Amino acid sequence: MPAIEVEALERVFEGGVRAVQGVDLEVAEGEIYGFLGPNGAGKTTMVRMLTTLLLPTGGSARVAGHDIVREASTVRRSIGVALQEAALDPLMTGRELIRLQATLHGISRAEGRRRGDELLDKVGLIDAADRRVGTYSGGMQRRLDLASALVHEPRVLFLDEPTTGLDPVSRKTIWEEVGELNREGTTVFLTTQYLEEADQLANRVGIIDDGKLVAEDTPESLKAQVGRPHLELSLAAEVAERAHEVVSRFGKPLPAKDGKILVELAGGATEVAPVVVALDESGIAVESLELVQPSLDDVFVAKTGYHLEAEEEDTGEQEVEPA
Amino acid sequence: MTALRANLRVIGALGLRAVRQTFRRPQLMAPIVVFPTLLLAIQVGGAGSAIHLHVGGVSFPHVDSFLQFMLAGAMMQSLMLAGNSGGIALAVDIEMGFTDRLFASPISRFSIVLGRLAGTAALGALSAVWFLVIGLIFGVPIEEGIAGALVTIGLVTLTAVAIGGIGAAIALRTGSSSVVQGLFPLIFVILFLSSAFFPQNLMLEPAQTIANYNPLSFIVEGLRDAIVFGFAGSEMLDALLAVIGIGCVGLLLSAAAMRHRVRTGG
Amino acid sequence: MAEAISRLRPDLEMIRALIARARNELVRVPGAAVPGVLAPTIFFLGLNGVFGNLIQLRGFSADSYSSFIIPVSMLQGAGFTGAAMGVNLARDMERGWFDRLVASPAPRWVLLAGNVASASIRSLIPATVLFCVAMAIGAHFPGIDGLAIALILVMGMAAVAACWGSMLALHYRSQSVAPLMQSGMFVAILCTTAYAPLALLQGWLKEVARINPVTQVIEGVRQGFVGGVSWADTWPAFLVLAGLLALLGALALRELRRLAE
Repeated sequence: MPAIEVEALERVFEGGVRAVQGVDLEVAEGEIYGFLGPNGAGKTTMVRMLTTLLLPTGGSARVAGHDIVREASTVRRSIGVALQEAALDPLMTGRELIRLQATLHGISRAEGRRRGDELLDKVGLIDAADRRVGTYSGGMQRRLDLASALVHEPRVLFLDEPTTGLDPVSRKTIWEEVGELNREGTTVFLTTQYLEEADQLANRVGIIDDGKLVAEDTPESLKAQVGRPHLELSLAAEVAERAHEVVSRFGKPLPAKDGKILVELAGGATEVAPVVVALDESGIAVESLELVQPSLDDVFVAKTGYHLEAEEEDTGEQEVEPA
Repeated sequence: MTALRANLRVIGALGLRAVRQTFRRPQLMAPIVVFPTLLLAIQVGGAGSAIHLHVGGVSFPHVDSFLQFMLAGAMMQSLMLAGNSGGIALAVDIEMGFTDRLFASPISRFSIVLGRLAGTAALGALSAVWFLVIGLIFGVPIEEGIAGALVTIGLVTLTAVAIGGIGAAIALRTGSSSVVQGLFPLIFVILFLSSAFFPQNLMLEPAQTIANYNPLSFIVEGLRDAIVFGFAGSEMLDALLAVIGIGCVGLLLSAAAMRHRVRTGG
Repeated sequence: MAEAISRLRPDLEMIRALIARARNELVRVPGAAVPGVLAPTIFFLGLNGVFGNLIQLRGFSADSYSSFIIPVSMLQGAGFTGAAMGVNLARDMERGWFDRLVASPAPRWVLLAGNVASASIRSLIPATVLFCVAMAIGAHFPGIDGLAIALILVMGMAAVAACWGSMLALHYRSQSVAPLMQSGMFVAILCTTAYAPLALLQGWLKEVARINPVTQVIEGVRQGFVGGVSWADTWPAFLVLAGLLALLGALALRELRRLAE
């Protein structure tokens, strides 16, 4: 039985905003499913419906074998949830919070204490357990959020952008923990706007854009669908148009990114030299060039027509200049 | 002259922003006007029999109705809430970082406060008009007519600005909207200990003694003159002096708080 | 009976845990609770100082205005406390914390009961402070029976106010509706025989006080302070609170169930 089954799920908000439009998907037991898309694509709406926080306006879904509308309370017993905002009470200590979560899941006090301490130790928060959550760093709060989602040993874990806003070290820690959980048998439904996260963690990736599921497969298969490497050329702005005409003779031009010209090369690396020669003969100086193998961003571009990675810059991540 | 004109333009622009902010959020305006109106209606119904009170040779002042007596107190309550809300709005600006943006601009620091007080003045004027209309609808004539109405509106507006200066000082010093909001009970304490809701010579001790010296009592009596008793005595002058006194206190506190904020960044 | 209690045990444990969490605001934020605790006492002293001589009017059923007015301030304290729980709920919703509770398998009524029970217990704090101050300035001691009835009614009023505040919080999902929570309770309590006996009220307030069910609650709390306790003054107060609790509790629960819409 799949851990999650979604059939034509839909959510239309007041004012006619169609946040999720007829999504079909299945997540197998023990799988990590990555739900990838930009801000506003419908990821959080999808998670909120599957975790019974929001009613769908169309379609149906079953989580851990139970209908999300008709058997909502049973669904809640089987799921763990860590939402987009860590949503912790700053006045509580980590230990108190996880014990409260245990109580809300009907776990006895003694058992709640035991499991709570075990989980706090697992996520590296045992030393900070009696400090107020308001004093925790962002990474610590995320780990606590994750631990409290696990206190009742859920069958399915929903993580809504679990590493947004975290530094690279904290992000890696969360990835390791999610990976370990999955190895222990937990099904994970993970939403993210980070390509690397989906690539690293997910067994399968579903790409959502504007409320619709536009692609779904393993990361390798998706990249293979796009297939071809592309060349990224940095040129002076005044020669860009001429350069565009030249490179178009060698392959399919792709949408520009960060001021660079992109062209898909059907023959791969063997076509790099002819492109450079052609540009040189046209008197166009190339500042830099890079041959890029297909990535999930390429998949995203192929399916939606724009880059997801440009969105990453909008989230405030800082690029580190090479020394 | 150029610097003065520039400052006035800034105050005008910030004032317009404050006024728009105030009137675009009905949920902020409602407590300032609706709450005192409700309390007025309740107190008139609940304590209205007081106009027949005689205690130890002291009688209730000669009024046509308890509403006529209470109108000035309701205005006072409303303008104090308006002053407090101006302080809250400034504190929210500080919390949001908007004030930093203003501090980083080439404008006079004090124009930031004066601009905010323009919004408070607008609220004060509105509340005065509101209660005068309420009074007229329910049969309370204004003793001094149009002049009385204009004087009332002017005095209420000035007092709201003076009170707003104190609210602004607290906002600048603490940078916390919840601290300024927490002053809400204090407003009632200060009002209770004045002649806003009852004649001070019919209050119990020690409230009566405190009310005798409370500057708000002088302001309320000035308003009552315009509405009920006419401009016969020195009450209006006393009211103006009280407003000027409160205004000076607010100004000094605001200036000190502003200096502290600029010096320490918080 | 034992089986019923046993089935309820996990739910009661959840309510206990939610009350413990709500207690943190009082215990861990120094000064946060002070305005809420002191405000009723401040109003009491203010009302007494300002309107105290109303007792000289013919027709007053008490010989001490402080004894007459203390139930008003006690119930105002209960109203403020309950409404504050509504504001806290709205804040929890805005911050996303409430999603955590709603996504858990805790029954919906348990989530509401935690809030309501917290308000009830908390209301005893301002009531106790107020009672001590009132006794210090000469209000009549209501007797153990009068005091017990008064405090139970105060707790009941806080529960009603918490249901009212929670209902608004769940409907509007924003703290901006806090003034409505507070003023709703304020008006309900003052549009009664708060300031004076029914015979001395004037105009519209007299008619409203006559039909306002909260008047029964005021009189129920007041009875010990101004005279003797009687069953005739007690049962209407409890009936009114039970009715308001049932009505507002049902409305709040309905809003909670509709949260996912």
